[in-house]
Amino acid sequence: MNGADRVRLLAACGGSAAFLIAAAIFLAAIGRPPLMTLGQMALYAFGDSYSLSESLVKATPILLCALAVILPARLGLITVGGEGQLYFGALTGTAIVVSFPNGPMFLLLPAVLLAGAIGGAFWSGAAGFLRARCNVNETISTLLMNYVAVLLVNYVIYGAWKDPASLGWPASIAFPPAATVPSLFGTRVHLGLVVGVIAALILHVGVTYGRWGIALRVLSGNRKVGAMAGFSFVRQTLLVMTIGGSLAGFAGICETSAIQGRLQAGLSVGYGLTGFLVAWLSGQNFLRAVPIAILIGGLIAAGDALQLYSKVPSASATILQGMLFVAALGARGLAGRWSSRYG
Amino acid sequence: MSLPLVKMSAISKTFGPVIANDDVSLEIHAGEVLALLGENGAGKSTLMKILYGFYRPDGGTIQVDGSVAAFASPRDAMAHGIGMVFQQFSLVTALSVLENLLAALPGAPWLQLRRRPRVAEALRWLHRLAPNLDPQRPVRSLSVGERQLVELAKVLNLDARVIILDEPTSVLTPAETERLYGFIKSLAADGKAVVLITHKLADVAACADRITIMRGGKVVDRATKCDRSSDALVEAMVGVGSLGHLDPPAPMRGNLPILRVRNLAAEVQARTISSISFELAEGEIFGIAGVSGNGQFVLAEALAGLVPVTDGDVVLAGTSIASHSDDGAIAADVAYIPERPLDNAVVPDIDLCLNLALRTARDLAFFPSRRNIEDRASRLISDYDVRPPQSALLAAALSGGNLQKLVVARELSRRPRLVIACYPTMGLDVLASQAVYREIFRHVATGACVVWISEDLDDLMNYAHRIAVIHDGRIVGIVRREEADRQTLGRWMAGYSEESV
Repeated sequence: MNGADRVRLLAACGGSAAFLIAAAIFLAAIGRPPLMTLGQMALYAFGDSYSLSESLVKATPILLCALAVILPARLGLITVGGEGQLYFGALTGTAIVVSFPNGPMFLLLPAVLLAGAIGGAFWSGAAGFLRARCNVNETISTLLMNYVAVLLVNYVIYGAWKDPASLGWPASIAFPPAATVPSLFGTRVHLGLVVGVIAALILHVGVTYGRWGIALRVLSGNRKVGAMAGFSFVRQTLLVMTIGGSLAGFAGICETSAIQGRLQAGLSVGYGLTGFLVAWLSGQNFLRAVPIAILIGGLIAAGDALQLYSKVPSASATILQGMLFVAALGARGLAGRWSSRYG
Repeated sequence: MSLPLVKMSAISKTFGPVIANDDVSLEIHAGEVLALLGENGAGKSTLMKILYGFYRPDGGTIQVDGSVAAFASPRDAMAHGIGMVFQQFSLVTALSVLENLLAALPGAPWLQLRRRPRVAEALRWLHRLAPNLDPQRPVRSLSVGERQLVELAKVLNLDARVIILDEPTSVLTPAETERLYGFIKSLAADGKAVVLITHKLADVAACADRITIMRGGKVVDRATKCDRSSDALVEAMVGVGSLGHLDPPAPMRGNLPILRVRNLAAEVQARTISSISFELAEGEIFGIAGVSGNGQFVLAEALAGLVPVTDGDVVLAGTSIASHSDDGAIAADVAYIPERPLDNAVVPDIDLCLNLALRTARDLAFFPSRRNIEDRASRLISDYDVRPPQSALLAAALSGGNLQKLVVARELSRRPRLVIACYPTMGLDVLASQAVYREIFRHVATGACVVWISEDLDDLMNYAHRIAVIHDGRIVGIVRREEADRQTLGRWMAGYSEESV
């Protein structure tokens, strides 16, 4: 076992322990029996096939948004635009449904999904273009474009695309079956999860073993030298931003089509930001993001279930999620310092 | 002889498998200049960093004024009157000279009150070293030589009795170097002890009273000023018989121009060059002399196609290699050795393998074979003597001289038609410099042309076919080697052209 593995193991154990202690204190403070509640949460997250499927449903957009952060991060770009790309992808995908509600499935569904991915790619690519050509900080631009995308969705569902049959409820028309992403094994788990896992695999292989990965590492380490090696920062920035954005946009249209069934407000419960945190938790590693996204998806699903069955407010799941992130990131930082000092 | 001010006995220090100092003893006396002479990696800097409290020795003792002292940090060393000026300066460039000096005074408060005695104390040495330097100027606007004087004043302000200078002349122009020699001698005359870490014989000849020569972490010879010839010193430094003979490059093959630079203009960070025109024949070495910061960097980058040109063109063998956009790339048959390799030529946080593969990275397979890259890297590392020879090391871990060798290995191991070399031997010792020149001459013999930017007039006048002088972004004059003389070149470097004389 080499040093890096030891640090990782240490961080995982230490982080888990710190999280459990903090969570127990929190649960005791709000008057719940800590151990029992945590046990219940584990059951609600992964205890049976239904819980597991719900966790995977939550994990799907988180995973896709995490990939949309990790890929630009490999070029040294920090994007926080998953949320906006997800919303914009949902918007463009829905545009197809609104325009051609009666199309045949073999045309409509691919067109809807493609439009969603292209929408996300455009939203992210715009920030990438500004970064590459005008040196606009991509973190700021993606952050601000989140608000624009969410408000654009609000604009259309309160206005032009409002379903007259919805009795004033701000939402688009319901997606016809021909535009509904197929679900798997009779659960709510849908195609998006499969795409997310395959995308993680492809990106991992391409970036770890491919020439592309060398280009990203060189350009992120020293852009000038990248030019000497013949790599174009402009091209690579556009590439990683559009690929990342297309994944987040795909997450948005899948969520709209398979889970919500129509474009409406509250499409995402912070999946973009959660994806960002998952990306950092994974150490910007595509493969490690998969189990971490599933774990966080489980935590969110368990929070919903707790609220339903145990009258624990679902916000407490968000608090626990925050504790998990802080514990994990803190433990990793400490372990890294410890190993560099004594290792 | 009087009691030594500092006596280091049997010092040893290892970094992992590398023995940096092996049983080294040294005496430093007040009122004299001790030159610590040796090649890169001989252990000179390590030894002095131990004295400065920067490293702790694995064995051995340090005595100051006859009593044993142990330094846990540079602060302890300074309390004993030992100060060091590093190759990299530690000045805050946004602050003025005065503010830098005030902040470095012992017991500097967090709130700087500019009381007159305090200011006078901060400036007392600077006034002696550089009476014409306005202390209100921001450090950003100072030349490298001026910065070095401020750094020296900072150390002297601490009442240092032992002043260690690490390769002080490596960044200076010839005139600044001469002035520094004067200061070093006057400091010694004041009763201070000066330790001069260097690999240049000129430094030793100019101001050393005693010489200690190190090689491979050991002291191999001690001499006083005049009892060794320079050949003997070089031999002691590099080891007997290891210095070969360097043949001057072959004469030019003909007058067929292969590189045409026409009316070139470019700008990088407010530094501009303009109206640069010259033509190079196959096998020609074109030296460009000049005081650093007169547009050499912009010229090199524009020739390499890495910054957009604002006017004119660069044509190599019939093809334009100038860039017109920000996203410039370098032509495959151009070898470019830029200045400051850590910033301009390598990716610090990737390993040596990939750094060596950079220029061919575009031609790699979609899934490149790691083994091929590693094999090639190992071969280059051993051919060009990059130390330590571990291809998995990150580039940031290499010393300046070895980084230079790494870049030379990458650029000159290919078959360029144009070589752009900026200070290619900077930070390299005698042996490594010779190896670099030999590599360049090898390409010259096969018909490549070379643009060689340097400040070393001796080397330029020995090896370049023609010498141009750049001043303030323009070429002031071009002269053939046979007709070049130092006076004319020096006048050009100061900006006087023929017409204005």
